Amino acid sequence: MAHKLRHNGNGIAVKASQDYKDDWSRLLTQVGAQRDRQAFERVFRHFAPLIKGFHHSRSTQALNAEAADELVQEVMLKVWHKAPCFDQGKASASTWIFTIMRNCRIDMLRRSQRHQNRDSDVDVADIWDENLENQPLLFLQHKRNERDIADGLNALPAEQSHILEKAYMEGKSHSEISEELRLPLGTVKSRVRLAMKKLQARFVR
Amino acid sequence: MIRHHPDENLLLEYASGSLARGPSLVVAAHVQMCADCRSQLSTLNNLGGSLLNGSPAQPLQANAFERLMERISQIPEKIIHKSEDTPTPVPVGREPAMDHLPKVLNKLLASNPNRRWKTLTRNLQMCRLKSGQRDYEVAFHCLRSGSGLPKHDHRGQEFALVLHGSFSDHNGIYGRGDFVLREPGQVHRPIATQDMDCLCFSAVAAPVSLTGIRGLFLNPLIPFRPG
Repeated sequence: MAHKLRHNGNGIAVKASQDYKDDWSRLLTQVGAQRDRQAFERVFRHFAPLIKGFHHSRSTQALNAEAADELVQEVMLKVWHKAPCFDQGKASASTWIFTIMRNCRIDMLRRSQRHQNRDSDVDVADIWDENLENQPLLFLQHKRNERDIADGLNALPAEQSHILEKAYMEGKSHSEISEELRLPLGTVKSRVRLAMKKLQARFVR
Repeated sequence: MIRHHPDENLLLEYASGSLARGPSLVVAAHVQMCADCRSQLSTLNNLGGSLLNGSPAQPLQANAFERLMERISQIPEKIIHKSEDTPTPVPVGREPAMDHLPKVLNKLLASNPNRRWKTLTRNLQMCRLKSGQRDYEVAFHCLRSGSGLPKHDHRGQEFALVLHGSFSDHNGIYGRGDFVLREPGQVHRPIATQDMDCLCFSAVAAPVSLTGIRGLFLNPLIPFRPG
C-alpha cells in the first residue's frame, strides 16, 4: 500500500492513496469469515493508533489519553465481534470502523450523563446504522467516492476543513462550533455546505 | 416521491454523532425511507473514514492488543446474524395502521409494548414513546383525514416525518417519507388531506403552544412530556 502523506492547513495528514481500501478491507473480511486472529492483529496495529489519534493528539483534545485508550478498546472489541457483518462491497474498512467508532463514542457519552434516562431497548446501532443499506446502484459509486473524498479533503481551504474536523473528531454540533470559534451559526453552516459541495463535485461529474 | 429532506448540515451532525438522540431517531427513520439521503449519508460516512485514515497515529498503552485479546477470550463468541431481525411490533388497542414502517421505528414500537394512544381532539390522536432520552418529546400523531389542527407555533424545534397519508400547511404538501423541520416561532396550521388519515412521527424540543381561542382549550391537553 503506497500511501502519500500530505498535510492540509491544520496539520492533519490525509492519505492520498489509490488503493487503501483493498488491503484492510480484505483483512477485515478474513477476520469476519475465519475469525483470523493474525489478520485481526494487523487490523488492530493499523487502526487502533489512528482511533486514538482521532480523539487525542496535538491537534485534537476531544478525549484525554486515558479515555481515548478506553475508547480504542471498546471500538476494537466491537470490530472483532461485528466483523462477520462487514461487507467490503458496501464500505471500506476505514468507513465501517469509523461508524463503529462513532457509535461507541455516542454510547460512552450517554453512559457518562448520569441524569439521562437511558432505559431503552433501542440501541445506538439501531439509530446509527453501521451497515447502511445502499441501493445497488450506489455500490459502484462508493469506491470512487472514498478516493475522491480523501483527495478532496486535502484541497479544501483550511477554514472549511477545520470545521469538518471539529464536527467529526471533536463531535461538536454546528452551534457548539460557532460558539467556540466565535463565528455566526450561518457562517459555520455555509462553510460546511461549501465543503460538501466541493467534495461532491469530485465525483458528481 | 419524497420531496422534503433534512439539509446537509443536519445530516452531517447526524453522521458525525453530535445530533441528539431524539432528532436522530427522526433522521434515521427518514434515511431508511429515502435512497437520496442514504447516498448522502454514505458520502458523509466516507468523509469520517477519510478523516480516520488521515488522523495522526498515537502510541497506545503497553500491551493494548494483548489486553483486548484477553478480554475477547473471556467473552463467549456471539453469533451475529448478518440480517438482524427487526421485531414486528404488536399493535395495541385501536392503533392506526403501523405497517411498512422504517425498522428503527419498529424497534422503538417493540420497546414500548405499553404505549397508549390518547385522543387529544376529535381529530387528533397521540402516542408518546419512551426513547431513552429526556430532551425531546418523541411521539406518533395521527390526524384524521380532511381535518386540521388549530394554528400553533413551536417554542422549540420540531423534527417530523410523515409515515402515512399527507398533510398540507401554508408551506406546502408533505407526503410519505417527507421530513419536516419547524423552527421555534414558526406558526402553522396543518390539515390532513381528504383521502387518508395522516400518521407522523416526531421529536419536539419544547412545548408546542397553541395560539388562538381554541388553543386555550387545547393547550392543557398537550402537556410536554419528554422521554
